Amino acid sequence: MSEGAIQRRRVSATEGILACVVLLYCVMVAAVNPAFLSVETLFDIVRSSSTAVIVGMGLLLVMLSGGIDVSFMSIALFGSYVAAYLMIRLKIDSLAFAFAVSIGLGTTLGLVNALLVNWLNLPPFIITLGTQNLFHGVMTTFISDKTFGAGVMPSVLSKFGSATLFTLKTRQGVMGLTVAVIPMCLSILLTWFIVYRTMTGRGVVAMGNSPESARRAGFNLLKLRLFTYGYIGALAAVMGVVYISQVNAVYPNKLVGNELMIIAGAVIGGVKDTGGRGKILGVILGIAIIYLLNSTLIFLGLSSSWNNFFVGTLLVASVAVTSWQNRRKNRKNLLFME
Amino acid sequence: MSNLASRRDHDLYILIGLTLVLAAVFAVVFGESMYSARNLRSMAYQMPEFGLLALGMMLAFLIGGIDLSIVAVANTSGIMTALVLTGVWLPGLSGYGVVAAAVATGLTAAVAFGLFNGFLIAKLSASPIIATLGTMTFYSGIGMALTGGKGITGLPSAFTSFGTAEMLGVPVIFVCFVAVAAALSAFLSRTALGRRMYLYGENPLAARFSAIDVERIGFWVYGVIGLLAGMSGHIVISRVNSAKVGYGDAYQLQALLVCVIGGIHPQGGRGKTLGVVCAVILMQMLSSAFTILRFSPYAKKLIWGSMLIVMLGLEYLSAKQNVRRELRQKIVH
Repeated sequence: MSEGAIQRRRVSATEGILACVVLLYCVMVAAVNPAFLSVETLFDIVRSSSTAVIVGMGLLLVMLSGGIDVSFMSIALFGSYVAAYLMIRLKIDSLAFAFAVSIGLGTTLGLVNALLVNWLNLPPFIITLGTQNLFHGVMTTFISDKTFGAGVMPSVLSKFGSATLFTLKTRQGVMGLTVAVIPMCLSILLTWFIVYRTMTGRGVVAMGNSPESARRAGFNLLKLRLFTYGYIGALAAVMGVVYISQVNAVYPNKLVGNELMIIAGAVIGGVKDTGGRGKILGVILGIAIIYLLNSTLIFLGLSSSWNNFFVGTLLVASVAVTSWQNRRKNRKNLLFME
Repeated sequence: MSNLASRRDHDLYILIGLTLVLAAVFAVVFGESMYSARNLRSMAYQMPEFGLLALGMMLAFLIGGIDLSIVAVANTSGIMTALVLTGVWLPGLSGYGVVAAAVATGLTAAVAFGLFNGFLIAKLSASPIIATLGTMTFYSGIGMALTGGKGITGLPSAFTSFGTAEMLGVPVIFVCFVAVAAALSAFLSRTALGRRMYLYGENPLAARFSAIDVERIGFWVYGVIGLLAGMSGHIVISRVNSAKVGYGDAYQLQALLVCVIGGIHPQGGRGKTLGVVCAVILMQMLSSAFTILRFSPYAKKLIWGSMLIVMLGLEYLSAKQNVRRELRQKIVH
C-alpha cells in the first residue's frame, strides 16, 4: 500500500537524496575551486551529457520492463556510422537523411534484440552482450572499419554538432548552449508521455512488476518487448548521430564499451533492474552525477584516472543501500524471493 | 531421476565429440601449423589465464548468479602484486620473501574483492548483474587510481619464471589449471556442499526452506571466484612480465561464452566442470585458428557474438526437446 503512495508522489526519496548529493557536491567543488561556478562549465556538462540522457530514456523503458540492454552503444555506432558512411559515399548532405537512416537501422536492430529475448527466454543481459558484439562485428566486417575525420565529414553534421541554441557573452568569451538539448528534451517528453499517458507504457511497467500478471491482464508481452527494445534502438540511433556530430568524426570503435556508464547512471538514479521501478528524473540526476564527477575531478586536483573509482564507489553504495532497504522490507513481509 | 542424469551426460558427450571433430578438422585444414609442438605449447600457456576466469564464471552461473567483475579483480590483484614486487609497497624485502609477500597481498586482495561481491549479493540481496557491474567499475577504478593507467614493468625473475616454468615439457601454469579444474569437479559432484550449490542454483527459495544456508554459500562462492580470478591475474602478470589496467578485457565475453558452450545454464543449477574444460579447449583451438588465419579483432568479435547467440538458441531448443520428452514419458507411464 505504502508503495502505491510513493509511486504517486512526483519526487520520491531517491530523487530528493540525489538532488541533495548533486548540490552538496557542487558546493564542495566550488569551495575548492571557484572557477567551477561558471556558465561555461554548465554548458559543457550539458553538452557532454546530452547524448547520455537521450539513450538513458530508452534504457529506462527497457529496465522498467524488467529487461536490460547492453547492446545500445553498438546500435548507436551501427546506425550513425552507416548513416555517415552513406552520406560521404553518396554525397548526400541532409540531416533528415542521417536521422532517418540511423533511426531505421537502430529500430531494426532493437527489434532483433526483442525477438531474441522473447524467443530464447534467457537473461537479456547475456543475449544483448552477444548482440553487442555481433552488431559491432557485422558493421566492421561487412560495411567498413575506416575512420572518417573532420575533413570528409558531411558539413551538415559538423554544423549540427557545433550549432548553439543561444549564446551568452561572458568574461571568457561567447558561450553557447548546444542544440543537442532539443533532441534531449524531446526524448524526455516522449518518454514521459509513453510511460505515464499511454496504455503501452503502463503495460511496460506492469510487465516489469510481473510478466505473468501482465500477460493475464491482456498485455501481449512480445509486442511490449518489441516496443521497448525498438524504442531504445531508435533513441540510441538518434544519440549516435548527435555524438558523431559533436566529435565531428566517425570512428569504428568508439561508443561501444561506454554503455556501462549509462547503466550506472540509471541504477544510481534508482531504476531497478528487476523491473517496474524507475523515474525519469532519477535517470537524469543519475547521469548528471556521473558526468559531473567525470568533468569536475580536475577542479578538485585529481587526474581523470580516478573517474572509475568514484563512479564505482557511488554505484556500489547506491546498490548496497537500495537492495538492503528492499530486502528489509521484503523480510518484514516474509518474502524471500531474492 | 536417473533419466535426468543420463540426459545431461548426453549433452556432455556431444560437446566432447564436437571438440574431437573440430580437432580432427583442424588437423586436416591447418596440419602442422596447428599441431606443431610450438603451437601446442603456446596454447597450453594461454589457456590457464582465461580458463581460471571461466571456472569462476561457472561457479557464479551454477548458483544462479553472474560475476562481471572477474577481469577487474584479476587485473587489480595483479597490479597490487606487481606493486609489492617492484618495491613500491612494502620496500625492504628481497629475494623469495618479496615474491611470497607479493603473492599473499594479491591473493588476499582478490579474495577480499570476491567476498565483497558475495556480501553485496548474498547478504544485501543485490542483483548479481548490477552488484558486480558496480564492483567491476570500482575494482578497476582502484587499479586505475593505483597506476594512473600506466603499466608496471620490471618484475623480478624469481616471480616471472613461474609463468614460463615447465614440468616434463608441460607448462606449470597449465598443470595448475588442470589441478584446479579437477579439484572443483570433485568438490561439485562428490561433496554435500557441492550438491547444495546445485540445489541453490536450481531453486534458491526451495534451497532456503530446505535448511540450506544459501547466504553463507553465496558469500563464500563469490570469495572462491575472487580467488580464481586472482590466480588468473597472477598468471597473466608473470607471463607478460607487466601489470596494466584493461589487460584481458575480451576475456569477459569469452568466459561467459565458454560457460554457455560448456552447458552451464545461465539461470543456475545445471552444468559440469568437465563441460567448461572442454569448452575452454574448444575456444583455445578456435582462437589459435583465428590467429593462423589472421582474423581482425572485429571479425573475432563477430564470431564470438554470433556463437553466443547460436549457443543460447541451441540451449533453448534442447530445453524444449527435453520438456517434450518428459511429457511423453509421463503420458506413457
